[in-house]
This record gives sequence, structure tokens and C-alpha cells, in this order.
Amino acid sequence: MFQFKWMLGKMKGYRAVYAVALCLSVVIQSFFLTGPMIVEQIISIFISSPDALQNIENQRDLLILLCVAMILFVFVRTCLQFLAKMLYEVVSQGVLQRVRNELFERIQNQDMHFFDTHTKGDLVTRLTGDLDMIRHSIAWIIMMVVESCALFLFTVIYFFTLDWLMTLCILALTPILFVVTRMFSKRVGPKYVVLREKLSRLNTKAQENIAANRVVKAFAREEYEKEDFDKYNKDYCEHNQQAAMVWLTFQPYIETLAQALWAVQMLVGGIFVINGRITIAQYTVFSGLLWTIANAMRNIGMLINDLQRFFASISKIIEVYYSRPSIVNNHDSAERPRLNGDIEFKNVSAKFGDTTVLHDINLDIKHGETIVIMGSTGSGKTTLMNLIARFYDVSEGGVYVDGKNVKDYEPDVLRANIGMTTQEVLLFSDTVDGNIAYGKSDLPFEDVKNFAHLASATFIEKMPEQYETIIGERGVGLSGGQKQRIALARAMAIRPPILILDDTTSALDMETEAEIQENLNNLDFECTKLIIAQRTSSARYADRIVILEDGRIKECGTHDELMKRRGYYYEIYTLQNGTEEEAV
Amino acid sequence: MARNKFDVDETLETPFDFSHFKRAMVYVKRYKWKMILALMLSAISAVVALIGPLLTKEAVDVAIPDGNIPYIVLLSIGFLLSIVVSVVLGNIRQRIMTKAGQMMIYDIRKDLFAHLQELPFSYYDDRPQGKILVRVVNYVNNVSDMLTNGIINFILEIFNIIFITIFMFSVDARLALVIFAGVPVFIVVMIILKNKQRRAWQNVSNKNSNQTAYLAESINCMRVTQSFARENENLGIFRRLSTAYRKAWMKAVTVNNFVSFSVDNIRAVVDSALYFVGLLVIGYPAVSLGSILAMSNYSSRFWQPIINIASLYNNFVNAVAYLERIFETMDEPVNVKDAEDAYEMPDIKGEVEYRNVTFAYEEGKNILENVSFTVKPGESIALVGPTGAGKTTIVNLLSRFYDLSSGAVYIDGNDISKVTLHSLRDKMGIMMQDSFIFSGTIEDNIRYGKLDATEEEIRAAAKTVCADEFIMGLENGYKTEMYEGGSQLSGGQRQLVSFARTLISDPKILILDEATSSIDAKTEKELQKGLQELLKGRTSFIIAHRLSTIKNCDKIMFISNKGITEAGTHDELMAKKGDYYKLCMAQK
Repeated sequence: MFQFKWMLGKMKGYRAVYAVALCLSVVIQSFFLTGPMIVEQIISIFISSPDALQNIENQRDLLILLCVAMILFVFVRTCLQFLAKMLYEVVSQGVLQRVRNELFERIQNQDMHFFDTHTKGDLVTRLTGDLDMIRHSIAWIIMMVVESCALFLFTVIYFFTLDWLMTLCILALTPILFVVTRMFSKRVGPKYVVLREKLSRLNTKAQENIAANRVVKAFAREEYEKEDFDKYNKDYCEHNQQAAMVWLTFQPYIETLAQALWAVQMLVGGIFVINGRITIAQYTVFSGLLWTIANAMRNIGMLINDLQRFFASISKIIEVYYSRPSIVNNHDSAERPRLNGDIEFKNVSAKFGDTTVLHDINLDIKHGETIVIMGSTGSGKTTLMNLIARFYDVSEGGVYVDGKNVKDYEPDVLRANIGMTTQEVLLFSDTVDGNIAYGKSDLPFEDVKNFAHLASATFIEKMPEQYETIIGERGVGLSGGQKQRIALARAMAIRPPILILDDTTSALDMETEAEIQENLNNLDFECTKLIIAQRTSSARYADRIVILEDGRIKECGTHDELMKRRGYYYEIYTLQNGTEEEAV
Repeated sequence: MARNKFDVDETLETPFDFSHFKRAMVYVKRYKWKMILALMLSAISAVVALIGPLLTKEAVDVAIPDGNIPYIVLLSIGFLLSIVVSVVLGNIRQRIMTKAGQMMIYDIRKDLFAHLQELPFSYYDDRPQGKILVRVVNYVNNVSDMLTNGIINFILEIFNIIFITIFMFSVDARLALVIFAGVPVFIVVMIILKNKQRRAWQNVSNKNSNQTAYLAESINCMRVTQSFARENENLGIFRRLSTAYRKAWMKAVTVNNFVSFSVDNIRAVVDSALYFVGLLVIGYPAVSLGSILAMSNYSSRFWQPIINIASLYNNFVNAVAYLERIFETMDEPVNVKDAEDAYEMPDIKGEVEYRNVTFAYEEGKNILENVSFTVKPGESIALVGPTGAGKTTIVNLLSRFYDLSSGAVYIDGNDISKVTLHSLRDKMGIMMQDSFIFSGTIEDNIRYGKLDATEEEIRAAAKTVCADEFIMGLENGYKTEMYEGGSQLSGGQRQLVSFARTLISDPKILILDEATSSIDAKTEKELQKGLQELLKGRTSFIIAHRLSTIKNCDKIMFISNKGITEAGTHDELMAKKGDYYKLCMAQK
């Protein structure tokens, strides 16, 4: 029941409206019970009564009145129904949107570890299909429960006033119903948990295929993908069937029990009438209102089915809702003061899972310095950078920016001071302008242009719609070098005191790279630059070069110092620039 | 259609017509026997259900007045039996329909997915991924009930209406006409609502798609968002999108709820009119009281199916909004496809010829003009030149990812537009700038290049590209499960894995597009050694910026100004002191 309590909490502000809607539902149910009475009046007075013909002559006004009353009665009922339905929609959509926004907010606050372990397809499932169950539960399940119960109670009370023994005989079937529905509920619950998982997998598979469409084509693996997808597709459909079959296994019992009410009524009622316990008129009333009890019985099965579905989904939502990131970002910093850009690593170690990626790093970087970081693949370069913006936390030691531990900063303040490009360039399906101004949406167009030029992204101006060109999600449609330059412009555009470039010029030709380096040296704001690079040409302008190997700093110094050392840097430098012995 | 953003509704070019529905019937028809069986079961079950009221009548009219208890017991048992039969038949129908419904959505989804595999890069480039995803998963799920129970119930209700109509007219045509008078009113209301409803539901599906697209993209690019500390602003955008969705939904359900509102009221007016006309206007004895009573009974039996049809219609309009989207995707033209008389590319040696190749992504904007060159089998070619000059385009044309504007490309004398795409791409190994890592193990990722590869082959390929060492250092070695996108690997490691994947496919023609840009110089050097071995006997095209990679190639082509401006060996081009020379000097 925790799930319902949670949802009730989310209904804050809507609870009164919802209560009104539920009350309306109850009132409307009473309309359904009393409405036919007008018709019965017309029939009993003007049609089936022995004095019918006389009544038509004498009581014309009453007949017209009853007819008008019937129309008005229905009109009022339908208006109330309309109102009630809209209220349910207002509440369910309101709560749905609230939870959706809150989930989005919470997902945004999750740390990288969360995204490593939750697939995108799964998260999308939670925010679409699973969330829909919230709407369904508010606008349908709960409403149906209240309506059915109300109708059931009204009728049962009315029945008791007619004849208690007859009523008890009719209700005698309900305990069996409870046993059946309990069994059903136990069996169907797990099915929906599995089904939900299958849907999430289907989503993940489809999502991955769409994202990997280039690789699929490159390897001509379309057939393989189709077969693979087929498994997920089939699996999902089969489980859908299975869950439905559980319901269909129990449905005949429930339906038979519901319909058997009439047979019981006929048997018991008939005997009672013969015995003189009830009148034939009462017998007719019982038979006329039995549908309310039958409906309630039927609905129990359906509602339990939906309820189990609801539980399967909402548990997934609640899980995301309550998962606590280890790096908490409250976004409550009203101001984001500009930092100087001094960075210090003190005895820093970092772990990724169980593997230690960085060992005892000590590095002191003064503001305005340009540091180039090199090292073999997987040596921990990117991890080192991620620690500065606190995407991950250190396992030992501390990272200090302007002398203050990054853990003591509000992440927003820290990150707003860092312009960062990532190795895998991620762009948004937005205009070039929108992408460059991503970190500062009110950036004037002149500045966007200016930063694009600084990033040597002149190709933008050759595109037909220039800065208004919409680019795809992964920036596909652009070449690797073009993407990198847009990402670079984006990072510079926030004029950060710390600029981190992770392999940002790897897909660029030498000339463009040299141009960008020149521009980086002449930025009109003071900026500490940390550049991960593979080419020694990038290292030329560096104040210091740091060589990482297996998570340790192996060399650190200026170009000349490192060349003298004849270590890793020297080796690469000669490798790339071709000394006598290399150039054959 | 121009490129689409998350907050731009996708315009729908086709007007509403029943063709979408007709098309959906293709899927329904495959299960037509099941549908017919279900329909018959429903009909029988409906007839059996009529027994109950008859027995009730018998009890009230005969058994009870007679005080005949055994007869009542008998009638009750009969009643119970009829219930059981009707319930069982109904249950069987439901089972059949559930299966058929699931099969149908399975079929639709399968076809949709299959078509997506054929669509060109540009389709994926032009719209956010989330918008494609909702069609494949959510939209398809939404149509199953409509196509099964919706259709069956619709047919049943139509029959119901016909039967009741016949009954009504046989009892009293004048009174039947009174009841019928409500029908035109109902039709007028539905016609007025129809367009509104359709637009409203289309709008809902659009807003839903926008919201999902933004969601998917936000999750995808969360790193960027967090690194720019832009969460609050994005939350604002998402709120805007979810508000738009809520508003669209509220509008659509308002229209929907208006349908049952109208029907109920029309029915009330008609019922009153029935008593009024029957009792006061025509009056006894022109019409018997019994027939008025009967007609008031039939009236509710007549309107109930109409109410049901109205609600089916609501679902129908809703489902069509989704069907439209699904079929729109299925109708998306496949630009690059097998020629009608396409043949399997035979085994090749790897000779490549470009003859007067001109290419433009958009008409009138040529990227390449009149490019011609020949590559001998086994040669390695380096493509260099400024970014955006068209290096990637040249190699993409070889795999026929795009069709040429004019000219032709030959492999071993086979025009690539005349062979089947699968056999063409099967001969090539392409390593792209994006090194995509699938979820699954590292082993699975490498095996993607050769589905029947053994563990030894996989390990050998990894060793060749110097990936073995780091893979063995992972928790479970080759069996290590990758996070989505391989996020626990560094960029260079991802490139190595994707490199191994390309190599294991043992291609005759190898295309490396910036394949080693994120790999450090030292690893690359080792890699080169392995590569030299591998390149033997294979034609290769290498796009790279590092001189060390370029120099070793047999031939270097400098791409700029829509074509090849210089070609030759490293030494030849250095001697020429042209563009390539300048490029090399820049690196020094």
C-alpha cells in the first residue's frame, strides 16, 4: 500500500478536487438507480395500469411533466458525468505531469554511475509507459472501485430493507468470489512484473538499434538485427499473452459467479414468493437491480488485474524517484560566482567499480596555465578531468579548486565555471546557434559567431541556413571534425575560468588544429586550460605537459624538460615528427 | 521534410481517410479465420444469453403462479447451464482475440522495424531518435485492441442495431420512426466532432512524441547538460513540453466526453418523444399500449449499441492517429536499394575504380565533381585534406550508403549499383568515426563483425589491434558486460574494440575513417605493426590526420575543391611542395 500512499502524496493540491469527483461519481450512481423510476412511473400509470386510458385523458399534464422530467434528469446526470470525467482528467493529468516533471528533475540530478547502470530505453519506459499507469489508476481504477462499491452498497442496503434473508442468499456467492480473486491476484502480479521488464528490454533494443544505425549498415547486419529484434518483439508479445491468459483463466469463474446471481435469485426468490415471504413485485425489484451487484463482482476481477499492473509500474517509478545520487546537486545556488581557476590534486586516487583508475595523483595547477595531458589509452586521462567537475568522486585524497575542496562546492557553481568538451561529442537536435549557446542561452548572436570563429568552425557559414541549420542528435550529418569544433565553441562560449578539452581536436587536420591553438592562446578572458591530446603538436603551446600511465603521473614538465628526459614524451615526439632514424 | 527538432510537431501530409484503416486490415486479414470464429462464438454466446430472460419469464408467468417448486429448480439449473455455456464461449472468444491481437502488433512492429533497417542515414539524421522509438514501441502497442476486439464488437453492434431495427419496425413503424429521428441528430453531432476529434488526437500524438524525444535526448546527453549546469533550464523546457501534452490531452478528452454526453441526451429526448407521441399524438387505439411498452424496451436496446459504437469510434479515431504515424514511417522511401536485377557480388580481389563521380547531398550543391581514380588490389590509400572536404563522403560512396548523382563506382569491374547491397557491404570492413559499443559483452561486440567467430578468433583479432591487454585487465575479461554505450571504456579503448570488430569480418576492402584518432601514439605504433600484416592483400582507404599513419600508405590523395587535387606517394608529394607539403610542415 506504500505505492498508494506515495501517490496520495503526489496528489497534494488535487485531493479536494479528486474528492469532489469521487463524490460526484457516487451521486451519479444514485442517478442511475433512481432514473429508471421516472420511466417506471410513466409505464405504471399510463401503460400497464388498468386505468391507463383514463389516466392518459385526465393526467396529460403529469405525463408531459414526467417526460420533461426525464429529459432534465438525464441532462443533469450527463452534465454531472461530464463534469466528473473532466475533474478526473484534470486531477490525473495534473498528477501525471507533476510526477513526470519531478522524475525528469531527479533523473537530471543523478550521477554518472546511475546512467552507467540504467539503460536509456529503460528510463524512457519508466517515464512513458509506467507513468501512464498513474493516470490510469487515478482516472480509472480508483474511480471504478468507488463507483462499484457505491452501487453495491446502495443496492445491498435497499435489498435489506426489502428482505434480509433473500439478500443474504444473493450475497452468499460473494465469499467464493473473494477466494477466486485472491488466487488470481497472487498469480497475475508476477506476470506483470515480468511483462514490464520485457517492455523495457524491447525499448532498449529498439533504442540501441536506432542509435547504432550506422554500424548496422556498415556491417550489413540488417538481417541479424531483424532476427535479434524479433526475439524481443516475440518475447514481449508472448508475455503480454501470458498475462492476459491468467486473467482469462479466472474470468470464466468470476463471470459465471456474477451471472449466477440471477439463477439464485430465480430459485430462492421463486420459492420465497410461493411461500409468501416476498411479493411478486419485490421479486421484480430484486431482479431489476441485480446488475449492480453483478457489475461490482465483475469489476473486482478487472480492477485487480489493473491494480497488479499498476503496482508493477509504479514500483519502477518509485525506485527512480528515491534513488539517491552520491553526488547531490540541489541547484539552489542563486549566484554562480566566477572562480579564479586554480586547481590542485592532493594524493588523489579514484576507483571505477573495483578497479583503481588513478593512484596518488599530486598536481598543482595555477590559474591561467595551459596543461596538456597525454598518455596511453585507458591511462586515466578522462577520469582525471571528470574529477574536477565532480562527475565522480575521488576514493582518496582531494581535488581543490581555488583552494576549496570540490566536494564543498555546490556542483552548479563548480560546473558553471568549467567549460568542458567530451571525447564522444554529444550535440542536441537543435540549431547550430542553439547548440553553441547551450551553456548560456542568452548569448548574443554576435558572440555565437565569434566563438564559432575561434573554434575555426567556419564551415557553418557555408551551410545553407548557416547558424539556423538544425543538426541531428548525435550531430550526425556532420563530420567528426565539424562536431568537435561545435562542441569546442560551446565550451568556450561560457567564458569559463577552467576549460577542459578532452581529445577535442583529434579529428581535425593539422592546419585547423594549429589555428585553434593560436586562438586558445589569445582568448579575451583568463582561463586555465587542460587539454587531453594524442598529438605532440598540441603540446607545443603548453606550459606543462603531464604524462599519465596506468593511473600515475609518469612525467611532468615543459616540452624542453621532457625532451631532455628522453622518456615517454620524447619517444612519442620522435615517433610523430619523424627523426632521421624513423623516416625511411 | 526538413530536419525535425524535439519541439517541432511533425506535420502530417496525408489527409485523413479510411485508407489507413484499410491498410491495417492487411494485418487483420492474416487472422481472418480467427476473427470469423470469434465473431461466430460471440453470436452464439449472444443467442445463448437470450435463453436466460426466456426462462425468467417462464418462472414468473408459469412456475411461480403455479407454486411449482421442482419446476423452478429445473428452470434455475437450466439458467445456470446457459450462463456457463455463454461464459465459456465468450471466454474462448477472448482467448482467440488476445492471441490474434498480439500476433498483429507483433507483425506490425516487425514490419516497421524491418523497414527502419532499410532507411538511409538521412532518415536517422533528420529527427530525434526518441521520435522513432515511440513509433516502434508505444504507438504499435496502442492499436492492438482496436484491430481485434474493436472490429469484432463493431460488427456485433451493427448486427444488434439491424436486428432491433427490424423488430421495431415490425411492431410499429410510426413509433420506430420517432426513435429513428434521433439518428440524424446523432450523425450530425458526430460529423461536427469528427474533424475536431481527429485533430485533437493527432495533436496529442505529436505532443507525446515531442516530449518523449526531448526525454530521450536529455538522457542521452545528460553529461553535457550536467557539465554546463543547465539542469534548471532544461527542466523548464521539459515542463513546457509536458504542459503542451497535458493541454492537448485535455482538449482531446473534452471532445471525447462530449460524444457520450450527446448520445445520452439525444436518447432521453427520443424516449420522452416516444411516450409523448405514442400516448398523446397518435394515441390509443391507433397504437396499442403493449407496443408502446415494447418500443420503450427496444429503444434502450437500440441506443445501447449506438453508445457502444460511439465509444468504439472514439478509440478508433485515437488508434488511427497512431496508425497514420506507423504507416508514414513504413512509407518512408528507401533511396538506396537493390536494383531489380541485382546480382550477388562475386569474390573480389579488391580493385576499385571511381569513374567521373559527381555527388551532392542536396541537389545543386555538389560535394564531389567528376572524381576519377583507380586503386589496385591490395593498395592502401590515405585520404587527407581539410575537414569537411569530402573524405568521408568518398568512402561512403564505395559502400553505397548514398547513390551517386552521376558517374559510377566499380569494384573488380562490377558496378556497385548493380550488385546487392548486402553482398557489397559484406565484402567491406568499415570503421567509422563513432565507435558504437553495444550492450552485451566485449566478446559479443567483437563478434558483431563475424557472427560465427570462435573465442580464439576473437582473441586473435583483439591481439592484432592491441586490445587484448586491456580487455584481459577487465573484471571478467572478454565476458565483461558493457554498460550501454560502453561507458566504462575510454574513448581509445572503444576504438580498439570497434577496430577488432571490423578486422574479424575479414574484409577485402578496409575503410578506416579516423579509426585511431583517440588512440595514443604508442599504442598506435604497435597497432601499425599489426596493421601492416593485415593490410596485405586488402585494399584499404584510410582517413587520418597523423602523419605517422599517412606516410606508410602506398598512395596519398589530397581532397579539396570537390575533388582530388594531389595524388602520389609521400615522397612524391613532398617533392611537389603543394598542399600536402604545407600540411606536413604545419605538423612540424
